[in-house]
Amino acid sequence: MKKANYPLIRLLGEDSILVEFEAEVSWEISGKVRRLLHALETKGIDGYRMALPSYRSLMIYYDTCKISDDSMLSEVMSALAESEVMDEPEGRLFRLPTVYGGEHGPDVDRVAELSGITAEKVIELSSNLKLPVYFLGYICSQAYMGGIPKELQSPRHQSPRPLVPGGSFGFGGPQANILAVDSPSGLNYVGRTFVKVFNPDRFPPTAFLPGDFVQCYAVDETTAVEAGKRPMEDFIEPLCDS
Amino acid sequence: MNRFAIVNPGLLTTFQDLGRAEMLKYALSASGAMDQTAVRLINLLLGNPESAAVLETTMMGLKLRALSDGQIAVGGADLGLTINGRPAPMWTVLIINEGDVIAFSEMRCGMRAYVGVVGGFDAPLILGSRSAYLRGSLGSALKRGDEIRSLDCSPDRGKLRRHAGKTLPSRLIPDRSMKRAFRVLPGPQMDYFSEDGIQVFCSSFYTISPISDRQGIRTDGPSIERVKGPDIITDPTPMGGIQVPGSGLPIILHRDAQVTGGYAKIALLCKADIDRAGQLGPGDRIRFEFITRSAAKALMIKQKKMLENARKTLAG
Repeated sequence: MKKANYPLIRLLGEDSILVEFEAEVSWEISGKVRRLLHALETKGIDGYRMALPSYRSLMIYYDTCKISDDSMLSEVMSALAESEVMDEPEGRLFRLPTVYGGEHGPDVDRVAELSGITAEKVIELSSNLKLPVYFLGYICSQAYMGGIPKELQSPRHQSPRPLVPGGSFGFGGPQANILAVDSPSGLNYVGRTFVKVFNPDRFPPTAFLPGDFVQCYAVDETTAVEAGKRPMEDFIEPLCDS
Repeated sequence: MNRFAIVNPGLLTTFQDLGRAEMLKYALSASGAMDQTAVRLINLLLGNPESAAVLETTMMGLKLRALSDGQIAVGGADLGLTINGRPAPMWTVLIINEGDVIAFSEMRCGMRAYVGVVGGFDAPLILGSRSAYLRGSLGSALKRGDEIRSLDCSPDRGKLRRHAGKTLPSRLIPDRSMKRAFRVLPGPQMDYFSEDGIQVFCSSFYTISPISDRQGIRTDGPSIERVKGPDIITDPTPMGGIQVPGSGLPIILHRDAQVTGGYAKIALLCKADIDRAGQLGPGDRIRFEFITRSAAKALMIKQKKMLENARKTLAG
């Protein structure tokens, strides 16, 4: 089979361009997507509408009445060249108060059993993680996060739970999420934050951006519920590498 | 102001408009009416902005009682519109008196009918649109006993008189025949399917499955052979994307579809056929046909011209 030459740039549908980088889920490859997004957004291209990033690809939408396919393709090429030499905008850290275990985190024991550690250890490890946001997707600005360490990685449930409450924090394999709204899901849910990570009464409905980090740190239920009254921007802290 | 009571919400009735397409940037589904041409046309008939909110009712059962005198127009699917038990015309501005009962009694053609009112419905405005998006808990389905009303409190009488009885010329009524193939462009993962598989996709009849909804229009028919597994690294799922999960059967992603997903997409439905697909119902038999990108753009322009024509015809 012939080896694809990445990035792959294609016109798709009537009014979009898909850029695909190497087919892998890694922070490095998704960084290329984020840098290209940043380069496009700062370019101020007349006719550019928006772009939706995912793990390894960027879907770019434009107004065909304002810019031709060829002109948009060359804008994308030049943004790509710029993105290769630019630094990615610094991510922020969202530290979200989270209540672990019990009804809010029904899978703590399952993860403990699968990982061969105690439930307390599962909570302690989870509480300290700073998980990178790869992109927002699925429904209602759902953050796709990665960075679950080997010792906590557990398979998803064989059949998904029919309804997991919004704000639930869980993981399956290396991937993690905080559910934006009540949804069916097969991930292992260990805790819940009451901070509204998706709030349709505000614009934009979420403060997460691709490249941000999220820490779901353990607090008691009262503190977690109380925190839910504040906007998610209140929980941004400087990101230190330590 | 026009007011109505929901006597029976039918299978599913929600407020919809042209959706929140620009919210895609924040990974939120566009939502909006499944057949937006129909929404634009009935709003034009009523002298409303094209983006005014309407009722979208699915298949059967909706019954409203007017709580005030007013004007409405109904378009989209022919679901057997009656007023006080007597058949009433679609695509026409109808004068309604307090106490009138507006009902849909029979599925004749299409899946979703739209009820517009002068001024548009007063539905909650969420992130730039009044469209309900039930999966995302934005807005809600209408229930028995709900009271709904229009936004405009004092439409000018001259305008009401000019619009009363107005009818859409038949040449402007959208063609919702499902006999014509649904035209598609290549999808981002066409290389996941074998040549035979692609041939099966564009030469077979597919029957619309009853489990279809505003998110995905599911089909039954011959399975599409693949050369790679069904799962891909999660990537954007554009509206109109046709994904093929493990079953090998195509699903057309529509207005409420998730914005990213993990199944290979064989094709993208042309924009000109999106609204027609919004009228697909259980049992409809359809075919897919690949066309060129320039043909797809030409269809888009043709559709825009039709709409421009309707604007001129119905102005004033």
